[in-house]
Amino acid sequence: MTSSKLIFCALALGVLTVLPPFLDAGWQNALNTLLIASLYALAFNLLAGQTGLLSFGHAAYFGVGSFAALHLMLATEDGLAFPTPLLPLAGALAGLLTGLVAGWFATMRSGVYFALVTLAIAELFHSFAPHLKELFGGESGISGMRMPWAGFTFGTTLEVYYLTLGWVLTCGALLWAYTRTPFGRLTLAIRDNEQRVRFMGYDAHVTKTVIFAVSAMVTGVAGALQAVSNETANYAVFGAHVSSQVVLFTYVGGATLFFGPVFGAVAFSLFAFLVSDLTRSWLFYQGLIFVLVMLYAPTGIGGAVTQWLRQPRQRSYAQLAGPAVLVALGGAGIACAVVFLTEAVSVLFGLDYANLKRGAETLPDFALMGLNWGPLSPLTWGLPLVLMVGGILALRRGVRRLTDAEPTFNSNAAKEGLTV
Amino acid sequence: MTSHSETPALSLRGVVKSFGALPVIQGLDLDVAKGHRHAVIGPNGAGKSTLFNLVSGMFPVTEGQILLNGAPITGLPPHRINRAGLSRSFQITNIFHRLSVFENIRMGVLARHGRRFDLFSAIARRRAINDETAQILDTVGLTRRGDHLAGDLTYSEQRALEIAMTLSTGADVILLDEPTAGMSREETAQAVELIRKVTEGKTLLMVEHDMSVVFQLCDQVSVLVYGDILATDTPEAISRNAEVQKAYLGEEAA
Amino acid sequence: MEFLIISTLNGVIYGLLLFMVSAGLTLIFGMMGVLNFAHASFYMLGAYLAYALSPVIGFWGGLLLAPVLVGLIGMWVERVLLRRVHAHGHAHELLLTFGIALIVVEAVKLVFGDFPVAYQVPTELRFAAFTVFGTDYPFYRMFIGGTAVAMFVVLWLLLTRTRVGIVVRAAERLPQMAEALGHNIPIVFMSVFGVGAALAGLAGAVAGAFYPTNPNMAAELGVIVFVVVVVGGLGSLKGSLLASLLIGLFSSFAVGLDWSLAGLLDLVGLGDWAREIGGLLTTQVSSISGTIPFALMLLVLLVRPAGLMGDRS
Repeated sequence: MTSSKLIFCALALGVLTVLPPFLDAGWQNALNTLLIASLYALAFNLLAGQTGLLSFGHAAYFGVGSFAALHLMLATEDGLAFPTPLLPLAGALAGLLTGLVAGWFATMRSGVYFALVTLAIAELFHSFAPHLKELFGGESGISGMRMPWAGFTFGTTLEVYYLTLGWVLTCGALLWAYTRTPFGRLTLAIRDNEQRVRFMGYDAHVTKTVIFAVSAMVTGVAGALQAVSNETANYAVFGAHVSSQVVLFTYVGGATLFFGPVFGAVAFSLFAFLVSDLTRSWLFYQGLIFVLVMLYAPTGIGGAVTQWLRQPRQRSYAQLAGPAVLVALGGAGIACAVVFLTEAVSVLFGLDYANLKRGAETLPDFALMGLNWGPLSPLTWGLPLVLMVGGILALRRGVRRLTDAEPTFNSNAAKEGLTV
Repeated sequence: MTSHSETPALSLRGVVKSFGALPVIQGLDLDVAKGHRHAVIGPNGAGKSTLFNLVSGMFPVTEGQILLNGAPITGLPPHRINRAGLSRSFQITNIFHRLSVFENIRMGVLARHGRRFDLFSAIARRRAINDETAQILDTVGLTRRGDHLAGDLTYSEQRALEIAMTLSTGADVILLDEPTAGMSREETAQAVELIRKVTEGKTLLMVEHDMSVVFQLCDQVSVLVYGDILATDTPEAISRNAEVQKAYLGEEAA
Repeated sequence: MEFLIISTLNGVIYGLLLFMVSAGLTLIFGMMGVLNFAHASFYMLGAYLAYALSPVIGFWGGLLLAPVLVGLIGMWVERVLLRRVHAHGHAHELLLTFGIALIVVEAVKLVFGDFPVAYQVPTELRFAAFTVFGTDYPFYRMFIGGTAVAMFVVLWLLLTRTRVGIVVRAAERLPQMAEALGHNIPIVFMSVFGVGAALAGLAGAVAGAFYPTNPNMAAELGVIVFVVVVVGGLGSLKGSLLASLLIGLFSSFAVGLDWSLAGLLDLVGLGDWAREIGGLLTTQVSSISGTIPFALMLLVLLVRPAGLMGDRS
């Protein structure tokens, strides 16, 4: 890793370690969720970005990890002397075993068929789990309690946070080290050209199964961490939502970078935490962001930024400030317009407005962001229109000016770790 | 057809391959002597690619046996055949585009050293492996391109890489599928020298269309026509063989 | 006996409904190699649009206009969105359709609310088609089935008897060759996508009145439709029909069956032993009727990915 990256990592580490005691429980919880999401995304990307196998059913291993941890937790409640901080090991083991079996079958297929197999496996878990009461607690799930260990009660959010932090950092470091092993390089080769790998003496099926199992193992740890912090889980953890969230995180952040998925997980988790209280439409925004990234930044936001950073600078940072401001303003304008329109639609079609309409002769004004707007007034629709058009123009101009450097010969790319 | 009693490096006995009802290879016998450079030539559609695919394990044979150094490899998957000591190149360059040239070659070296499931060591520290890779890189003349992405190489550089990758697994029996396809006269001459150098002491089976290459490199030539071997002999003898001329050029030339 | 007849009727009709939705999906995959994750969203849009339009232009108006609108939306999606990411490969297209599915669901929730809407069969259609063993069988169910059959016939005739159909079938086999022969393949792709979407929309408009219309309907139907197209064979229309009927009949019968492994073991006298063990052995088919289609899908994918009638290649 280059020195600037190392500095950035050290800084992030410092903040994550030192800051939380000064935050309120809500924020600590959000950081906890964010860390778990990052680990989940890193584990997922081992399969998706590094091996080229897109899994649409990773919730299966996340869920298996959750339940394994809960069962172990229940055992410690009954007297088993197992250290609480090591509870996620159960998730790792469960994920590994499930991943070996599932992976053996799933990697018999590739492409869309592989994705469908993983989807089917997750759906099997999801629809079967409510009927297996001993294993998955039926409809209501299983609940446990963190037992105190070595002087720690593990009763506060902060203690749980540090537990999560420790595990996430350890597993993250292991995944990073993985990319530096011969097997890690083989993983990338399989993505590029599986056939050639076979003809060079590797059993591709067994290799892919092992990769799948490793990915499932770390996913199991993430699931276990969530179960340990929530102290409960039910069959919903096998649901499509859990499988699809990790896909969103990874591809918005960028699947071709090691830290891309982390970026996506952090961005979306923060977004959910900050915005979900403000509006019910936050899932819509999430989907919209995902589609926009897929259309305009196919390597993800992380990928686009990294590619841009790598190009040799013709002009100084001062000269780039202007276009950067344009991009920021343009983006902000578009975002404001979209939010305004979405929220306006939400209000206009909502139940409250329907009630308002009933008593009035003409369409009454609606309230949004503290102001009143007339639904037929040109100002109401003109404002977002102007913001949108202006924003798009500014954004395009700014991006064009920013990327106005010579295209570089990608010789440096090979030196950077993960093939990017 | 071996000139001494030593086991041939590669042996095909009664090999038949049909795709559905269409027979492509029909009862083919072929021996490639150890240490020889052996070419397979023939008109288009004769089955040369199919032959390579059968030997390297891409397709199963319909009937017949294939022996590598006397041991049967019929029906084995490609990775097992490779580990048994046979390595092939591809007519359409089949490299790892997004990895560096160095890594492309190292993939084979790692396999040779048995490091197929090594999740536990740092690859940068594996001195023996990296040295060996550097050596192969040097042999094919790609040292200064080692850090570049394989996808960024020129066509003939990629062909050289293709050969390097074929060698990297340390196999004794090398199959090269039209190694000089698409090359200019200069590039071909360089390729011939390279092939000569790297197959020193190994057994080579090569599909080629360029007769000058065959003449420069090979001890034996087999002519494949309609899925069967028409004749096997030295290049000079083959070029004078009337039946071969007829097969290539039709009745008029004979 | 009554159970048999009613379940068969229900099963066939549900199967035909599944076929209406899966036909478009399998055609699109066969032709463009894209598994459209958003296909069930078109189904949902059809229902919601019909619901929104029917107060304005009547039930029949909504029924006719909603599929057209959905078809236009489908064409727009293909032309503007999918085509842009085509160069990045199938995985990328898959992801994009996945994102579109998310947006459509949330947009519907935004406009219509996160609860079911009262899209109902109009009173003039609420009569019994016939009576079976004392139970009235609703006409509207037959209407759903009839629409599906009519749709299949029209599609079949279109594909096999018209010039357009031949071009479409050629484009499915070898798109580049068809383009080299002078046919406008991009327009063909866009049209097929649009028609596929319109069919799903029609299914939604017709079925939404009978079954609950809520934001969850896309997700619920979506997975089953995937099972159908996999079992039938990705790309095969006939396979889709066969698999739809199979799954439709199975779902219909399974909910009423109290069979379990323990019951099976009764035949060899081990029934009570099985019941003592409990767990999996006493689970009834009716409770896991939702699981079995996925097991079937998994089996097909692993053993014979071409499905019942798909291309072996």
